[in-house]
Amino acid sequence: MAVAALAAVLTLAGLAACTSLDRRVPEDPARELTGVPFFPQTIHQCGPAALATVLGASGLYVTPAELVPLVYLPGRRGSLQAELLAAARGKGRVPWVLAPEFGAVQAELAAGTPVLVLQDLGALGIRRWHFAVVIGHEPADDLVILRSGTQRRLILRRTDFLRTWRAGGNWAAVITPPDRPAATATGGGFVRALADAARHLPPEAVAAGHAAALERWPTDPLVLLANGNDAYAERRLADAIGLYRRLLAGDPGHAAGRNNLASALLDSGCPRIAVQEARQALAALPPGSPLAVPVRDTVARTEAAAGDGGDDASACRAE
Amino acid sequence: MDFRQLIVTVTAACFLALGLQSTASAALIGTPDYLAAEARAGHLAEIDAALSRADVQAQLVALGVDPADAATRAAALSDAELAEVAAQMQTLPAGGDSFLAVVGIVFVVLIILELTGVTDIFKKI
Repeated sequence: MAVAALAAVLTLAGLAACTSLDRRVPEDPARELTGVPFFPQTIHQCGPAALATVLGASGLYVTPAELVPLVYLPGRRGSLQAELLAAARGKGRVPWVLAPEFGAVQAELAAGTPVLVLQDLGALGIRRWHFAVVIGHEPADDLVILRSGTQRRLILRRTDFLRTWRAGGNWAAVITPPDRPAATATGGGFVRALADAARHLPPEAVAAGHAAALERWPTDPLVLLANGNDAYAERRLADAIGLYRRLLAGDPGHAAGRNNLASALLDSGCPRIAVQEARQALAALPPGSPLAVPVRDTVARTEAAAGDGGDDASACRAE
Repeated sequence: MDFRQLIVTVTAACFLALGLQSTASAALIGTPDYLAAEARAGHLAEIDAALSRADVQAQLVALGVDPADAATRAAALSDAELAEVAAQMQTLPAGGDSFLAVVGIVFVVLIILELTGVTDIFKKI
């Protein structure tokens, strides 16, 4: 009797910890990222271990122990999602939170990027939050392969994985170097994610990220604005003007883009067309926009330059 | 004003001073300035962000994080994350997967089984 009860209890505990399907699924690089490092977690510290795993896969070797002071919250005996993302930024990486669906996880895996996930491994109504890293998906048997806790290869039925994943809102994220936007990223979203990480990156790394984004999203307004601004900052004024014009061709009402075009034109010795662009930028601003201050400043500067009898160089109308 | 409020105010002032430095450029609208304008309207929100950064820092220290680490950690959060963490630090999921929790559940179940007379494993103790 006692033995049977004990067995039942242990089975229950096993369920709570997620049953690994030991089906002797062989490691196969075709469906599993076999090169992803493994850091077995110590008590409570799946956050640092999972983060070290995805950072390692992004080319940055950091031990979980180094990450503990950055992400572990003693009073909560765990780590918060936001702090894992923030710590990745602190290490010069760009986190990207996936759309909350398994298709996004598969798309990242197909691109060779392991995926950090939040699961609830609890049972009997007790929440037990856990971070793990999805490294593979086996479509034939519908299996999901993870680096999880102390298990280098945890193999779950897809339905079991989805059940534990749902409780945390299907939360998943990938970590990439700044010049390698995530497979499921959007152009504008990537520029924003990069801006959040920018304070931990040298300006060249941010510019390299913008350039990579331009290759993938050549018509995205925010990507064009960011690349135009980088060109302006490097005093490549002709490139900046070209990029701002491409932005405005797709989005004529983009006040910031037009303001910056006016500034670049003014600096290139074209005050007369600059003043026209600056006035158009001001007209395009929605009421109460915080951009009103710099745009009015641009109007004043370009008007002063044009009023000084400044004439546009012949090159100004070339484009 | 209690001590925590004082710390929050002083830290907020520091973050605010740092933030305002970067928005000083005039004729060109830089990418961070554009994104800030897009995300929120004006300086009022900037003060909010600085306040929540200081608040998050104080909450991290209260939850056992080393004060020096807490400053780094609060600074690394994005504005959106900051608002979320400041409001829900105690309730957001904290991934920890405590093995002790499992042991605890097993122990509780064993005790219930024992007390209800289903099992008799503790007889010899």
